[in-house]
Amino acid sequence: MNTPNTKYRSNQSVDRLIAFSISYQRENLLARGVGLEHLREFMLGIARPLLRQGASLAYGGSWAQMEGNFTYDLLELIKAEQEDNSIQGPDTSFPIGSLYNHVAWPYYDSITPEIEAQWVNCCRIIRVTQEEAGFREDEILGPAGSDSDSNSDRIVFNRAYVLSAMRRIMSEGCDLSLPALGHQAFVPGVAARIVIGGKVDGYAGMMPGFFEETLHALRRGIPLYILGGFGGGGEVLAKGLLADAGATVPELGFDHHRRETPDVACINELCGKFRKPAGFTPESLFDELGSAIDNAAANFPRSLSNGLSEDENRLLLTTSDINEARRLVRMGLNQNFNMSRLAE
Amino acid sequence: MTATTPIPEVYILWHSDCQLGELFAKRIHAWLRPGNGLGPEVFYRCLPAPGETERGLPLPIPGESRGTSRFAHSSTNLQILIPLIDANLIADSLWREWLKKLADVESLIALPVALDATAYNVAGGLRSLNFLRPAGLPLAADPKPEMLEAAVRSMLKQLTESLCRLMLHRGQVQTGGTDMAGPKLKIFLSHAKVDGVEPARRLRDYIYSKTQLAAFFDENDIAYGRSFAEIIETDLAAHETAAMIAVRSSMYASRPWCRRELSLFRRPRRLTDDSELVQRWQLHPTLVVDALTADGETLGIPELGNAPCLRWESLPDREEVVITSLLRDVMLASFHTALGSAAAKHATAGSVVINWLPDPLSIMHIPEARQVGGDFEVVYPGRGLSGVELDILWETFPHITFRSFDDILS
Repeated sequence: MNTPNTKYRSNQSVDRLIAFSISYQRENLLARGVGLEHLREFMLGIARPLLRQGASLAYGGSWAQMEGNFTYDLLELIKAEQEDNSIQGPDTSFPIGSLYNHVAWPYYDSITPEIEAQWVNCCRIIRVTQEEAGFREDEILGPAGSDSDSNSDRIVFNRAYVLSAMRRIMSEGCDLSLPALGHQAFVPGVAARIVIGGKVDGYAGMMPGFFEETLHALRRGIPLYILGGFGGGGEVLAKGLLADAGATVPELGFDHHRRETPDVACINELCGKFRKPAGFTPESLFDELGSAIDNAAANFPRSLSNGLSEDENRLLLTTSDINEARRLVRMGLNQNFNMSRLAE
Repeated sequence: MTATTPIPEVYILWHSDCQLGELFAKRIHAWLRPGNGLGPEVFYRCLPAPGETERGLPLPIPGESRGTSRFAHSSTNLQILIPLIDANLIADSLWREWLKKLADVESLIALPVALDATAYNVAGGLRSLNFLRPAGLPLAADPKPEMLEAAVRSMLKQLTESLCRLMLHRGQVQTGGTDMAGPKLKIFLSHAKVDGVEPARRLRDYIYSKTQLAAFFDENDIAYGRSFAEIIETDLAAHETAAMIAVRSSMYASRPWCRRELSLFRRPRRLTDDSELVQRWQLHPTLVVDALTADGETLGIPELGNAPCLRWESLPDREEVVITSLLRDVMLASFHTALGSAAAKHATAGSVVINWLPDPLSIMHIPEARQVGGDFEVVYPGRGLSGVELDILWETFPHITFRSFDDILS
């Protein structure tokens, strides 16, 4: 039985940031017997108990009102939980987590002050700039649309590196303090990441976002929950993790992406034309991802660090039963972080 | 024929070229799962399964001999198939044969929906079933939103009634693709004679003219001298009265017999005896029809608890909306009673499993809840209450921990 002052909420996870790599791809889901409704239920079913434990959420969705963008679902959830938490009930002295929305240049240019102000108590927008990606002053471009077409290579190149910097900063955490005002604010790094779906072609960066986020998690030993039974990037990563030793999954290799996503080939070539602000290229990132996946495949409990056993991870990597996947993720989070049950 | 307590999951099937299919499927999903994890699981079958050819079949339905049953929920024992049948499906020989085969699956109950007249050309056992026939179909090529909405509402009404009848006949479920029939559900219409008769009469007339339900309208239905309490008790014990509509007019709160009816009906009933370590309790659903007038004031009615409420004056097609909403709640209550049986097996000794979303007054009827000390758990449907509801329950019952079915079963 819980202690009287922590029955339904706690501050056990107040410094934890749980990241969702989740995207809606209609055909992938319908082929597996589910739809947007199921994905939303899955995400909210995980998010709500986490918020009540004080954990915050990271989701890199846009601010456009469109089908399959879960930003507003999460914001509405957080707003409702905060309102419930404001009534000074028995255990409402614990803070409810919030949303961290990491956004890279130039995408943050479309976020208006009105949008940010409206949700300021639920969400912290973290703008990742070209400077933070390592670009020098003479390499930095203006706001979206302000540069001429002759700069299109530079736009593609800078955008890709800023996206990569955003994913690194999300994993590591960052300092948002305002020294002049004596105000300290730190954004925690990701404590666990949940991967489901995800685009594997037609993306804008060095590699599919889900792949790069997974690579950061594997590098840093961040608990990783990969749901492989719902198509997209999650399925490709699962295939790699479950492949026999020596076998390759083409969709995890640079050659495949160079053919299928022309921007990637372009960025790789531009690495020979422009100064690189960081020491990697698309090709080197794919190589590193391949090695990380190979290493991880040897021992899931150790490499994925997610509190699940080898068999439970294999199930999570393959199941197309969204309720079973949710149960496994919750079980792993409970065990991994020694939380009291993620009561809802 | 098998005799079981049905805990269903629903599979909606439509051809990938069917324009209306996805919209109808999403509306069925939203209708059957109205809250946080309430209601049966609903899955789709439309696009070819992974690994199939471009025109291949969707994933199999659990129980189908084609293979895996990996989508079956661990707590379910009945699959309800809702094929949305149109010309695209009928003209596709692969899908036609698939549907024919599904009709023979022992564990499936099919509720076919005719989206156009060709649906009745379906092959095999489904042909003999009573199809759901949404009004206004087939729609014109570019239908007006209100035409589309009317068709959806008509489908949901018919579907709700079928599912409701199916769920209430626990232990009498016939499987194997055959049609469902059984005794009529009874709706109790509680109203004040002085100012609530008009909505109640209209609802009664609608029930008898447009549905296969029965109404209990005390102006006609109580034999002279017979105790009202006795009638309600008898009906509830016999599982006859399925639900109550309380017509909340201005005078309703001040009429002692109205309050008595409501109080009796909103009293949970224990389903288990003293020998069982986990108690199970059941509450039949109540829907409040708000018929208050603009002038004057009325008292609050604590017995209503968290019963849902619809405003009579503002509703279009008000009788249909009220009755269909109530039937959905009846179906959900029955489903949650059945799922509660499964949850009880996972609950700790001394727990109380209920089939409704708890509020302070309904929980107060459980004797253990009124006793000081002796911590125990109440297990309720869905995936969890809002924070404020949990806080209010905690303050009222500090010795009770409230946990959801999902928390217990996962």
